[in-house]
Amino acid sequence: MDMQKIGLLGFGTMGAGIAQLIAQSGRDVLVLETAQERIDAGMVFLADFLSGGVARGKITEADSETIKGRVHGVLEVEDLAGVELVIEAVTENPAAKKSLLSKVSSVVGADVPILTNTSALSVTDLATSVENPGRFAGLHFFNPAPLMKIVEIVRALETDDGLVETLVSFVESIGKEPIVVKDRPGFLVNWLLMPYLNDVIQAYDEGLATAEDIDVAVRLGLGHKQGPLELLDLIGLDVHHHATTSAYGATLDPTFAPPPLLRQLVAAGHLGNKNGKGFRTGGKVTE
Amino acid sequence: MINEKKMVAVLGAGTMGSGIATVMAKAGHSTMLFDVNEQNLQRGLDTVRGFFDVSVQKGKLTSEEAEAAKKTLNGTTDLHDLAPSDVVVEAIFEDLSLKKETFGRLDDIVSERTLFHTNTSTLSVTGIASGSKIPGRVVGTHYCNPAPLMKLVELADGRHTEQWAHEATLEFLTTLGKTTVVTKDRPGFIVNRFLIPWENSCIAALEAGLGTKESIDAAVKGALGHPMGPFQLLDIVGLDIHQQVATRLYEQLRDPRFFPPPMVDRMVAAGDLGRKTGRGFYDYENTRLFGS
Repeated sequence: MDMQKIGLLGFGTMGAGIAQLIAQSGRDVLVLETAQERIDAGMVFLADFLSGGVARGKITEADSETIKGRVHGVLEVEDLAGVELVIEAVTENPAAKKSLLSKVSSVVGADVPILTNTSALSVTDLATSVENPGRFAGLHFFNPAPLMKIVEIVRALETDDGLVETLVSFVESIGKEPIVVKDRPGFLVNWLLMPYLNDVIQAYDEGLATAEDIDVAVRLGLGHKQGPLELLDLIGLDVHHHATTSAYGATLDPTFAPPPLLRQLVAAGHLGNKNGKGFRTGGKVTE
Repeated sequence: MINEKKMVAVLGAGTMGSGIATVMAKAGHSTMLFDVNEQNLQRGLDTVRGFFDVSVQKGKLTSEEAEAAKKTLNGTTDLHDLAPSDVVVEAIFEDLSLKKETFGRLDDIVSERTLFHTNTSTLSVTGIASGSKIPGRVVGTHYCNPAPLMKLVELADGRHTEQWAHEATLEFLTTLGKTTVVTKDRPGFIVNRFLIPWENSCIAALEAGLGTKESIDAAVKGALGHPMGPFQLLDIVGLDIHQQVATRLYEQLRDPRFFPPPMVDRMVAAGDLGRKTGRGFYDYENTRLFGS
């Protein structure tokens, strides 16, 4: 198999999910973190997710051990020398990402593809932080990465055509469906989703129906697995607020602008499922 | 249970009318399907009976249940035959003056406690209610297509709907095995209010080259868990229907997100209306919309 040794930057929720997927495909993963505690936490998260799979009979105990054995935490950027592909999945802070990407690009080979899992930042802008930006692209996984079928391959302004082809094969090799998209705020899925969710928040604020009835109508009327307001609770109201603010800044398109109710909810600490306060979590907002 | 059975009239024997009549007959209500045109009426009655026959073949109903449902069903082209109705469900052509006029004529035929339901999807419930001398009895009840299979009914009061009519409607809808959501008399209610701008934005993304029809459909299904991608759904709905609904909502809301993108006009002009014409965004060999 080509690209046997993969470098991964960041071992949070997304990083752990991506590490699992790549290890499942038979590759070794070196995960860079800033502290041993963060590596340990990532390994615990990975182990928990895998034991869930074992409990549901999706994988065997032996497979789970093999997968964990292919994931190795490292603390120094220099430890990544020799990897054949790098995926960045650190916090959505452009300065932090650029500084790290710049260091990594000077450690790994000049032609080693470097990919970002950003969901809200410009891939073209992040590409400026690496030498030879033709080897840079977006590789956008959805949460939870091991379960979601598709991966967006984001072609930045200077991305080489050959890299896009390589990534299509790579995504297929980890068992996912590649979708090649442009470098637009939210790429394809979130580009479509953000204005829709904003529209629902605004209509709810205007008293169209209760939060529950809006979700029920969309589930039963359109067959969606989740209604829009329960989806927002799952995504996190702060995450949606950050993504829409960023997309609005990049487009000045008012359909991306976070609606007033969203701003107020986030300001008041209503973040969705993660803190039990959201549209459908039984907090004050739900009727 | 016996006193829950109502005399229900369904106006209009088109797709929605015959679907709603199917729902009523299946729930055991004495169902009278009305259409001004004898041929349309017969086709509608055949559609309802055909649905019950297929349900028996699929094992969803016993033949006794299907026969009982068929027995509750009658048809007429004479509005006066609707005199004993407890509930009238209007599912005629989306023309405001026609709907108003029909409710006005029914005022003189039925009891003043008869509920008037409108299945309009794009017109104002308040506007339609203004055709009746008793606008307080008019309630919006919007069924989804295909009505016999889709669980959802959106209920919307008009400006002058009275509480008794609202409550009687909620109670009546529970007899149908449907789930009711309560919304406002606003263009598109909930489902179309959110669906139309969504579909338009997907079409605009396609036209802007953000993806192909296949990649956008795959991304929406894979990442968002929708049962169909936007273009697969548009091909089932029909591009002409999408154009009509979107345009009507735009005319009322004056919000450009509701206006159908130019690609829709070109597809309609070319006759690429979706599955029913064998070609929409995709090509089809089988032009049937549901089933195989």
